[in-house]
Amino acid sequence: MLESFAVSIVDGPLNQWILNTLWLWPAMEITHFIGLSLLLGGLIVIDLRMAGYFKVLNPAATHQLLPLVFIGFGLNLGTGVLFFYGDPLRYSVNIGFQIKMVLVVLAGLNALLYHWKVVPLMRTWDPQADSPIIAKCVAFTSLTAWTGVLLCGRLIPYVGSG
Amino acid sequence: MFEWLESTSVAIWVGESLWAYPSLLSLHIVGLAVVVGIFSMRDMRLLGLFPGIEPAAFLPLSKLAVIGFIINAISGMLLFTSQAVTFVNSTPFLSKISCVIAGMVLAGIIQSRLRGEVAVSKAGTTVSGSTKLIALASLATWVGAIVAGRLIAYI
Repeated sequence: MLESFAVSIVDGPLNQWILNTLWLWPAMEITHFIGLSLLLGGLIVIDLRMAGYFKVLNPAATHQLLPLVFIGFGLNLGTGVLFFYGDPLRYSVNIGFQIKMVLVVLAGLNALLYHWKVVPLMRTWDPQADSPIIAKCVAFTSLTAWTGVLLCGRLIPYVGSG
Repeated sequence: MFEWLESTSVAIWVGESLWAYPSLLSLHIVGLAVVVGIFSMRDMRLLGLFPGIEPAAFLPLSKLAVIGFIINAISGMLLFTSQAVTFVNSTPFLSKISCVIAGMVLAGIIQSRLRGEVAVSKAGTTVSGSTKLIALASLATWVGAIVAGRLIAYI
């Protein structure tokens, strides 16, 4: 499915524009790196507090970092789609890219669990007490999944296809 | 000296082992996310974003960023050995290292100011103008380090 989509967009106008625009690729890479710093930076603070570390922070106040996390994600989704359009035949069959995408989806589902289960809990729990087990699980899953996303993404040029 | 460094067994291992270079790069990106992630959050807080978060909360968080920095200093030095001559002659590389050093010096200054603030008042929510300026400069060094670091492969 991913491969047939890749074949359908290769040599298309967007693909050609990305490949023929001087300095666009490094500019997108730089944006992708800044985006990942915002995404991970915000999540490290939110997740570690949720798991019970850094009790000096007010857990509810860490939610103020969420817009920044979404900005980071948006930057990386946008540049990520352009990377794919720029080199679809390489990414579609790359095992590093495929695992990375599965982990992004997993992290997204985990974020829904955070939104539906942990956020309501956070309104009532005693900030100085030990965190509920579900909060710890969601925080750990989030940090693990995003670390995996970083590792798989960085390994894309080094791992084979298929 | 850099030719000699490239000929050491460590450098040869980094350059020739199938997994050494990609593994070190992977460590380097995780460290980058921790260092730039935490320091940029701190800088934006000092510049006035997320007012609910106590600036003093970044005192313990910065220790985590320092761990990220140590990971990147070690992985970075190992990556450096494999192409030392190329790197020392690369303008983007030298710019990146300058940015990182400046960023760490500014981090030390901000850390001591935050400590001072905690000592003065528990509710240290007002940030002085000079601290804001330092935070802005710090943010610029980390963006600069990322831009220069990425450009090593292109210039």
